[in-house]
Amino acid sequence: MPGKTSTPRITKFTNCRLVCGLDLVEQDLWIDSLTGKILKDQEAFYGSHLTPDEIIDLGGRIIAPGMIDVQLNGAHGFDFSVPCETKEEYDKGLRMVNRGLARTGVTSYLPTLVSSTPEVYWKVLPSLGPTAGTHTPEDGAESLGAHAEGPFISPGRNGIHKPDVLRAAESFDDIIYCYGAENMGDDSPIKMITAAPEVGNMMSHIPEISKRNIIYSIGHSDSTYEQAVTATHQGARMITHMFNAMRPFYHRNPGIFGLLGQSERRRPFYGVIADGIHLHPTSIKIAYNAHPDGLILVTDAMRLCGLPDGVYDWTNGERIVKTGARLTLEGSDKIAGSSATLIECVNNFRRWSGASTAAAINAVTAAPARLLGLEGVKGSLVSGADADLVILGENEDPFSGPTLTVDQVWKLGAKIHDANKAATVMA
Amino acid sequence: MVPFFLIVLLSFLDNLLLFPFFSSYFDLLQLKLTRVIIREDPRQVSVYIADYIISRIKAFNPTPEQPFVLGVPTGSSPELIYKILVQRHRAGEISFKNVVTFNMDEYVGLPRDHPESYHSFMYKHFFSHVDIPPQNINILNGMATDLSAECASFEARIARYGGIELFLGGVGPDGHIAFNEPGSSLTSRTRVKTLAYDTILANSRFFGGDTDKVPRMAMTVGIQTIMDSREVVIVATGAHKAFAVQKGLEDGINHMWTLSALQLHQHPLVVCDRDATLELKVKTVRYFESIEQAGTDARTQGPALVYRPRTYVPAPLTVKTPTSQQPTPDGTPEKTLKDLRINTELHRRAMEEDELTPDSMSSRLVDSAIGGIDGALKSDLIFDRMGTRITTL
Repeated sequence: MPGKTSTPRITKFTNCRLVCGLDLVEQDLWIDSLTGKILKDQEAFYGSHLTPDEIIDLGGRIIAPGMIDVQLNGAHGFDFSVPCETKEEYDKGLRMVNRGLARTGVTSYLPTLVSSTPEVYWKVLPSLGPTAGTHTPEDGAESLGAHAEGPFISPGRNGIHKPDVLRAAESFDDIIYCYGAENMGDDSPIKMITAAPEVGNMMSHIPEISKRNIIYSIGHSDSTYEQAVTATHQGARMITHMFNAMRPFYHRNPGIFGLLGQSERRRPFYGVIADGIHLHPTSIKIAYNAHPDGLILVTDAMRLCGLPDGVYDWTNGERIVKTGARLTLEGSDKIAGSSATLIECVNNFRRWSGASTAAAINAVTAAPARLLGLEGVKGSLVSGADADLVILGENEDPFSGPTLTVDQVWKLGAKIHDANKAATVMA
Repeated sequence: MVPFFLIVLLSFLDNLLLFPFFSSYFDLLQLKLTRVIIREDPRQVSVYIADYIISRIKAFNPTPEQPFVLGVPTGSSPELIYKILVQRHRAGEISFKNVVTFNMDEYVGLPRDHPESYHSFMYKHFFSHVDIPPQNINILNGMATDLSAECASFEARIARYGGIELFLGGVGPDGHIAFNEPGSSLTSRTRVKTLAYDTILANSRFFGGDTDKVPRMAMTVGIQTIMDSREVVIVATGAHKAFAVQKGLEDGINHMWTLSALQLHQHPLVVCDRDATLELKVKTVRYFESIEQAGTDARTQGPALVYRPRTYVPAPLTVKTPTSQQPTPDGTPEKTLKDLRINTELHRRAMEEDELTPDSMSSRLVDSAIGGIDGALKSDLIFDRMGTRITTL
């Protein structure tokens, strides 16, 4: 591979702690930049007589798998739901987002589309499919497939999704038409669909969606507990941003949240926005205590992430006010997504829930990988998995206590970001 | 090797009086007896041994052409030694670049990447943390299709490196060294051994307490393989080793306590913690302590690390080229003319144990124990035609 000759082939990380289950274990990690995988080091050593070309002493820092964000609407001024003039222009914006995202430690994600008109889906979905196989480290974060959040959602639980574009699917053809027939085939670029099971005939379409290897997620829904249970029987495996845009928990009708109270069958995974704005810390704690293995931290970040405060145009002619991490629709108090980074969510979650560091990291690595059926490929440090890594430092923040920082990011066995080096360049 | 009928005469303390009979007169100048070092706890024992190994490697000043050949064990006692060696390596005190290792044993039928295999143990505790090149590592392949060929090849590899400089070993509660269980022949070489029931019981803790999961067989270097190394260092810690230490040091040579074979070795060093001396006579302990207090530090008493002519002993028997076993290490000496050396160490009669005929006088005279005067005697005492000694490669 041209341009790769200078990169050492085998890198060994030593004096580091690896995320392993619910613990951090002191162990070395070997990666191979040629295959982009984590090496079965003992076999490579004895069998192939491979030794590290480079040994990196991490001084006790943590190696975590690259983070996975299953709900991310855009960043750096680019919005996945806004098609450009040409596909080239759109793809260029996508590449910019990918590179920017990688610097925050997110090495793979589901580019998420808010409710839009069918034309938008037809246009942008072909660009958002999984890129495994052709992806290079320099490309940055990697799409694992698109997340279509809407438009088959409840008009009363739309959040800031524009009511005009919301739809109800009577027949399955309505769904195929909306996303485009070529996007609903065997090699679908869509990995996840968030829809309200009670809208139209969605409940009966869930098995059809699951059959296409697309994850059905309950969200933006007014469904009752009973409807939500039926949806999980039909194949729903995820709940989109728990608590937000759904019927609140009520003791005589627990709603979607009630699914976490089940113990007799597999409970769905659930997304949580731990940005300090969407949810009260205690709400997160309740959910986490009810179903720790299913919690997946998401940012729900949108394109204003990384831009200065101010008023910005949004989709469908509306405008958004950005005040710090808080984004609201102009003229209302409705929360319009977040501009927090995933590592901030991990830090918040760790502080609030009292979860161990490894458990907090699992919520953005192992748990989403399990949801996406990518165990042993992403979100894991086992040998054979993709060598997507983040090196996490731990600082003592005077206000918020122990805080994890993204010091380095490695994608497919190559270092693509180093916070120390970036800082010196800027200075 | 000592003729069999003399063994009875030898006890480990007075062997310095008898050895001159058939070894060099110069040996009289150098005290030779079992060196025993006693330390308070396992930690201090391990530090002592790690220091010792480091000083031996450094004194040897190994090069790629003249590597230091180290025999290494697995087990709980050595684990701490490896830990200290790794720390010293990280501190930049010692490099293992020019060290060649031979592991004493490996289970039969356990895959290399099984967490309880000795490959895994060595990788986890030592090899992955130091700079030893993988081609310098020799561990018996428990998955080899032809186990006896694997054993023979292992012996040949040791011989090809000119023998083992220092063999580090532990000792079992029943006195076994390597997997040479009680009753092993004291002239044994690398071979397959059936594990004693005691050992299976003891090791079942590594296999979830299930004795059925413990392999029934292991390959191990023999007592003679260990005896042939120029120096043997044994670590014994804990009260459960006390009986083995007593039998090995104070009683006679006995195949039921294979440790006792070291009484015949020229340079054995046993490092014990206080607990492991519990069964020894007070007199014995005091004696060894007084030796150390007299300033005769064991670290200065190892065999002289002089250049020894490397002997190429051809692979014993007619070894079929092993098919599915570990590849012969890249680091083994290339088969070039420089390896055509004269075989001056006739005592290395690999795989001849079954021959019970007494040694001829000539073979005894050119014994390795002659050591320093090898060169002087060599010219006088050549009986064989030159052609027979040049190894065919």
